Amino acid sequence: MTITRRGFLGAALVVAVPAPAQDQQIRTVFVRVDARGRITATVPKPDTGQGVRTMAAVLVAEELAVEVADVTLEQAPGDPATYGPQAVANSTSSRQMAEPLRTAAATARCLLIAAAAARWQVPVEECTARQGRVRHPAHAALPYRSLVPAAAALDPATVAVTLTPPERWRLIGRTRAGRSDARDIVTGRARYGAESAPAGSLVAVVARPPWIGAIPDTVDDSATLAVPGVVAVVRLAAPGAGQGGVAVVADRTATALRGRELLKVAWTGGTPAADSRVWLDALEAALAAVPGDPAVQRVYRLPLLAHAPMEPMNATAHVTATGVKVWAPIQDPGGVRTQLARALALPEAQIDVRPTLAGGGFGRRIETDAVFEAVACSRAAGQPVSVRWTRDDDTRHDSYRPMSVHRLSATLGADGLPVGRAHQVVTWPLSVSPPFASPVVVKASGDHFPYAVPGDVTVTLRPAPLRTGFWRGVYAGQFGYAEECFLSEIAQAGGHDQVEFRRRLLPAGSRLRAVLDAAARSHPDPDGVACHLDYGSAVAVLATVDAAARRVRKVTAAVDVGVPVHPSGVRAQVEGAVLDAVSTVLGAQITVRDGAVVQSSFRDYAWARITDCPAIEVVLVGSDAPIGGLGELAYPPAAAAIASAFAAYGGPVTGMPYGVPVG
Amino acid sequence: MSRYRLHVNGRRRTVDVPGETPLLWALREELGLTGPRYGCGVGACGACVSLIDGAAARPCVRSVEDAAGARITTIEGLHDHPVQRAWLELDVAQCGYCQPGQIMSTVALLAEIPDPDDEQIDRALRDNVCRCGTYPRIRAAVRRAAEIVRGDR
Repeated sequence: MTITRRGFLGAALVVAVPAPAQDQQIRTVFVRVDARGRITATVPKPDTGQGVRTMAAVLVAEELAVEVADVTLEQAPGDPATYGPQAVANSTSSRQMAEPLRTAAATARCLLIAAAAARWQVPVEECTARQGRVRHPAHAALPYRSLVPAAAALDPATVAVTLTPPERWRLIGRTRAGRSDARDIVTGRARYGAESAPAGSLVAVVARPPWIGAIPDTVDDSATLAVPGVVAVVRLAAPGAGQGGVAVVADRTATALRGRELLKVAWTGGTPAADSRVWLDALEAALAAVPGDPAVQRVYRLPLLAHAPMEPMNATAHVTATGVKVWAPIQDPGGVRTQLARALALPEAQIDVRPTLAGGGFGRRIETDAVFEAVACSRAAGQPVSVRWTRDDDTRHDSYRPMSVHRLSATLGADGLPVGRAHQVVTWPLSVSPPFASPVVVKASGDHFPYAVPGDVTVTLRPAPLRTGFWRGVYAGQFGYAEECFLSEIAQAGGHDQVEFRRRLLPAGSRLRAVLDAAARSHPDPDGVACHLDYGSAVAVLATVDAAARRVRKVTAAVDVGVPVHPSGVRAQVEGAVLDAVSTVLGAQITVRDGAVVQSSFRDYAWARITDCPAIEVVLVGSDAPIGGLGELAYPPAAAAIASAFAAYGGPVTGMPYGVPVG
Repeated sequence: MSRYRLHVNGRRRTVDVPGETPLLWALREELGLTGPRYGCGVGACGACVSLIDGAAARPCVRSVEDAAGARITTIEGLHDHPVQRAWLELDVAQCGYCQPGQIMSTVALLAEIPDPDDEQIDRALRDNVCRCGTYPRIRAAVRRAAEIVRGDR
């Protein structure tokens, strides 16, 4: 018997469909229990380090009354019609995954209980599942494996499925289990993109535009093709919003890199004189003047940022007469499948997309450029080809967080609290494609001012002079940063306590006030404070710095995510957001000179090192709110709290990074 | 193309590659030891850190020719090592891509300084980048690994 689930929003509907008689398994889209009692969960979304696989294991273990380690994980291929939304973006994963996975596991549990009740001839209400067994007061407990054949033969439509109520949760929000893939990670066995390529795959590296927008004019590949092991040189058209280039396909990575060095490409077109200082000045020049008191306004200039995941971009593809198979660290397997189907004019059924573990994503792996490159190379070579980006490629050809300028202004009441506010933003869209080219969408993403101060945000979009993309926090990373830094400056100018100032602007009993109070209890007398409310979650961040040493000493973040499914993972996401904030406030930025990105690796893209790491405390604040999002949540306020903390000792925040020229 | 003898994880192996080939690619693509990760290729991130004659080294910027004859230990050469146990206990990893390098750097640190203070930990791991932000847990796990090695608890 096979159970499929239709409809991923609202109430779950479980439908039985015929399955081979010999298939003695309880089988739903997301959960299987086999005749040996082994439980397998199919994780619908890719894990980029944010922990969705562990979350899936916790949810399934909870509902099947086993331990987290008892659940084996499989990764779903790209197929949203079967698995529901699969993109990991915009802090949606926990909210989208929790109900389908719990329902699937609860269905399996209720079938097992029904089978036991039938065997014992007792009412199902008298039976419970615990520790992998079904129990009844009058009978010896039955392990799941002894019940699977009978349970698999039941019609699930005849079984009432009940979710475990929160007061009986053993694992959700409570488990001390670590990350599900941790053992593979610490032994080096974890398989990311390169390790997932089929044996015998060729490797390709790509000569990329030396300045923005350049395209290959003439290519002399004679020296490249003379290198033993080089198989082909492939000219790549610009895939989607990506860039073109010339791929060198070889039997080994070192060979491909050597072949790329010997390639002679004449490039044409593009913007060889582009300069990010000019871009930023042009955005600032587009800000309108604000009438009123110039003392209560501030302009913020924010730089380009790269994603720089530890695993550089890569993808493996095998194009055959019957279709295309892709193995890649990606954030949107369904999107990859749809885009490939459209581009190749193939039915989706002929495109098999296998997301691998991803060595970080942060929004970069929403882009599909590496996949399209691999497909083009495999098509040309007639074999599976794994395209590998070097770190230099990754740093210089990212989909960057857009530059932005912000003019904040406020009118203050007699008590020094703001009674009106205005926020003008001039920036670039995240993508040339709708809906992201719309100021309405940009505003909806960034405009989350949580305090009781009337006012508005106006957004002006200018065409992006290079490829932009989603970056942690999306536009709240810029909007919220500017708004909180400005609020801090007003409070500081008026001699107010930063926490108390914000408390007065937040309704009593609100989630945000609760997290602010919780953070303040753990972190007395902070230098910087900021809050954020988004994705159905609330966070307050407090920071203490050593301004003279330009070091962040301590950061406390109190967070209310409704249901912190995997507590260690929740803390990890917040810790990561704090380190992103440390990095971007202290110095990481991408600059463009003479048409090219200046930075090329972690040597000059100044990401935080362990030496920059503050003490971080994450306080989980309970509430009865539904499960909320988290991945994007804590970055904007963490950056604002840290920058404002430095401003408590030095000049005001005028952009990002703090205290250095931007652009 | 030449033949080089490498001594990796206690075994003698041979590879047929040009001598200037970075050791990282020989480990990964000739010997199938993919625990050392490619992160930058220029010695700037630490994702490939392995031990060469007991010291933390970066195979992406060491040639096969140079490493021939040395004793090389990759993450695959550790077996239930105290550093790995501490990493699991403190649930250090997020994406995990940098962690083999962080762990190997820590193994080298503890071999030299059995009970490092925060400054010594920071100095040893300063050039191991973690993009997910696991540094606070790495610090704690290094201290915990030192405890395990000492036999505490």
